Formats: sequence, C-alpha cells, structure tokens
Amino acid sequence: MHDRFWQQALAIARRDLDRERRSGEVAWVTIPFGASALLLVPLAVGINQDVLGRIGTGMLFVVVMLFGVLTAVRRTNLETPAQRDAITLLGVDPVAEFAGKTIASSVLLLLFEVVMGVVALTLYGLDLSNWGWMGVVMPLTAVGLAELGTISAAIAISIDAGPALVPLLVTPLAIPLLLGATQTVELGPDGGNLSWLLLMTAVVLVLAIVGVVTARPLQEIR
Amino acid sequence: MTSRIRRRWLDVVAVVAIVAALVFALASPRVADQGDAARMLFIHVPTIWLAYVSFGVTFVASIAYLITRKLRWDLIAGASAEIGVVFTTVAIIGGMIWGKATWNVYWTWDARLTLTAVMLLVYLGYLALRRAIADPEARARRSAVLGILGLVQLIPVHFSVTWWRTLHQTNTFRPRDIQMDGPILAALLISVAAFTIVYAALLRHRYALAHLELEAHEASVAVEGPVAGDAVSAPTIGSGG
Repeated sequence: MHDRFWQQALAIARRDLDRERRSGEVAWVTIPFGASALLLVPLAVGINQDVLGRIGTGMLFVVVMLFGVLTAVRRTNLETPAQRDAITLLGVDPVAEFAGKTIASSVLLLLFEVVMGVVALTLYGLDLSNWGWMGVVMPLTAVGLAELGTISAAIAISIDAGPALVPLLVTPLAIPLLLGATQTVELGPDGGNLSWLLLMTAVVLVLAIVGVVTARPLQEIR
Repeated sequence: MTSRIRRRWLDVVAVVAIVAALVFALASPRVADQGDAARMLFIHVPTIWLAYVSFGVTFVASIAYLITRKLRWDLIAGASAEIGVVFTTVAIIGGMIWGKATWNVYWTWDARLTLTAVMLLVYLGYLALRRAIADPEARARRSAVLGILGLVQLIPVHFSVTWWRTLHQTNTFRPRDIQMDGPILAALLISVAAFTIVYAALLRHRYALAHLELEAHEASVAVEGPVAGDAVSAPTIGSGG
C-alpha cells in the first residue's frame, strides 16, 4: 500500500517534470520573466547600491512568490479534462496525486529560486553573510508555494474566472512564507531567525495537512 | 403577531444590547492622553474580535461540510465569511481613524495592520470564489477547502503584535495582565457582548437568505423550460396523395 502510494506519486511527478522538459516553460518563459522583474526594480526605485542591498532579499522572494506560484498553478491547469478523468478512473489515490504534483512543482520552484538568487546576487550586490540559510529557506519556500499552488489550482479548476481568481487566492496566503523567508535570511541566528524558520515550517506542515485532508473532495469536483 | 415576535427576538435583543453598549461607551471615563478618541476602543476591539469569530465559524463549518456533505454547513460558512469581511473592514477603518488621532497617520506599515488587510484579501478571495460558481455542490466543496486554508492567515494576524512589537499595542485581552480601569473594562466587555449578539442576528438572517437563494436555484434547475428545436415539427409524408 505504502509502496503503491509512492509509486503513484512519483509517476505523477515524473509526468509533470517530463512535460516541463519537453515544453521548457519554466526554463524559457518563467525564469526570463522573473529575471526581468528583478531588473525592473532598480529602474523603479533607483540604482543606489545601499538601497538595493537592503531590499534585495525581499525583492527576490516577492518575485519568487508572484512568479513561482504561477508555475505550480500551471502544472495542474495543463491537464485536460480527459486526462483528469483518466486519473480518477484509474483509481489513483488523490493524496498521491497531490503529493506527486507538489513534488514536481517543488523541484521546478527550487530551480527557479536558485536562478533568481544568482540574478539577485549579481544585480543587487547582496550581503552574503547569512546566505547559508538559503539552503534551508529555499527548499521550504519551494515546498510551501508548491503545496499552495497545487491546492489553489485544484480549487479554481474548470471555473471561467479561474485564471483571474488564483492569484487572489494564493498571494495573501503566501505572505507568511514570504515574511519567513526574508526574515530568516536577513536576521541570521543572532537576530533570532529561528522563530521565523519555525513559522515557515509550521505553514508548510499546515498546508501539507490541508492538502492531504482535502485531496479527495478536490478530486471529486473536477 | 406572537410568531413574528418569536422570529424577531434575537433582533430585538441585538438592538437593546447595542443601545446599552453605546450608553456605557459614552458614559465611560475619558482617557487622559487620548481623550474621546479612545472611545474607538469600544468599536475597534469588538469588530476585530468578531472578524476572528466569523472566520473561525467559517473554518469549523467548512470542516463540518466536508465531513457531513450537508449544504447547510456551507451556507453557514459563506454567511459567516460575508459578515466577517464587513467586520474586518469596519475594524480597519475604525483603526485608521483611531490611528490618525493617536499616531497622526491613517496608515502605517505596522505588522498587525498589514496582516489584517491581508486577511481581508483572503476572505474577499473566498467570497469571489463563491460568486464564480453557480452549482451549490461544487461551490460548497471548493469553498470548504479555501475556508480551511484561510486559517493559515489568522495565526500570524493574531500573534503579529507579539512577534514584531511594532506600533500597534499588544493584545487587549490578557487575562493575567489587565491594564484597564474597571469602568472602561466593563464598557468594553458589554460592547464585545453586544456586537457578538449582533453577529448572531446577522448570521441568522444571512443564513435564512442563503437558504432561500438555494431553494430558488433548485427550483430554477427543476423547471423544465423550452428546449431548442421544440417548435420544429416532423413533416407529414404522403398527405398530398
């Protein structure tokens, strides 16, 4: 049973990653779009290096939140109604489906975050003293946004107003992740960043629980 | 007449309670450093309290719907969220007016203010989702998931004043550390109770209205209207001989 669950989850994750490998949507569309957003910020707020150094980490995670979550939503929206019916009729465990989609989105979001991190470092001249924490913060942000994107996309699936609705549903709910990520890196251990890391971990866990509990009703509505 | 009174008893109690709260609020002593502006306390605290209560009820009713699949829980969740959005808006506007009197600004990037505005957006999204779906069952299932997700936001909102220690004062109700004069505390508690009764009355009315909307929807689906092509009749063959 346990093996079967992971088999299904990994099969769905592999399918989504294969689809990305073929289409290159994240690599060739989302990443350049995110990089251009990071490039636009200095043009809007001025090119003062002190200012850019101060806001850089925050801007990095704002871009990750706004663009990254679209990646997670897109994974679910790529499925046609016939494909969704096939998955349901094949008896795929809804929780395994949620886990598979979340795993695939997490991998893509992590890739997106790493590239955006390099771009932010280059453009904003960020202070690297606490960047070791990115090793923890980036995976947590990726998993949290992936969970949120997968759940929100499933809620808004097949609704005419869905594409307009999803950003409204996701963005406010992603605020704790954005705050946690920025504060953990900016404060460092001396500034008491562990409580922020704890907040992020708690949010990721709560989202995982919500995703697991609501997987079945969300599979029923499509 | 008696049945009408029986139906309206909660409304009557709500009106009496609000009048009593108003009297106590106006009769409470002036606060030395804030003057009459401090009386905003009697609106601001109850409205934000009821925002929590409303969204908490939405959360519980959403879980109840997913367990029982009875539409009445969805109607309660939706009704409570609508009222919660109204109370949150009043709390924010009241807080801004109070902020202008005490901090000399309507808005500041304080953690509590910002996260309360974000909470309002979460539930505006919830209401937008409900409006976007006509089918009651589909709407109920999708909304229930979002009603549960919304709780993620309530936790940082409530603890924001402790975590950040910014301009906004810490939580007003701290049972072990009450720093408020007796008459002001009494007026505040009466105000909270009165607003809670108003919430109950509004929820009752909104639920009844939602129930009527549901019945109207079911009736409109049940009515068999004309179908395209009804007017076309089959040609008669061979009648001309």
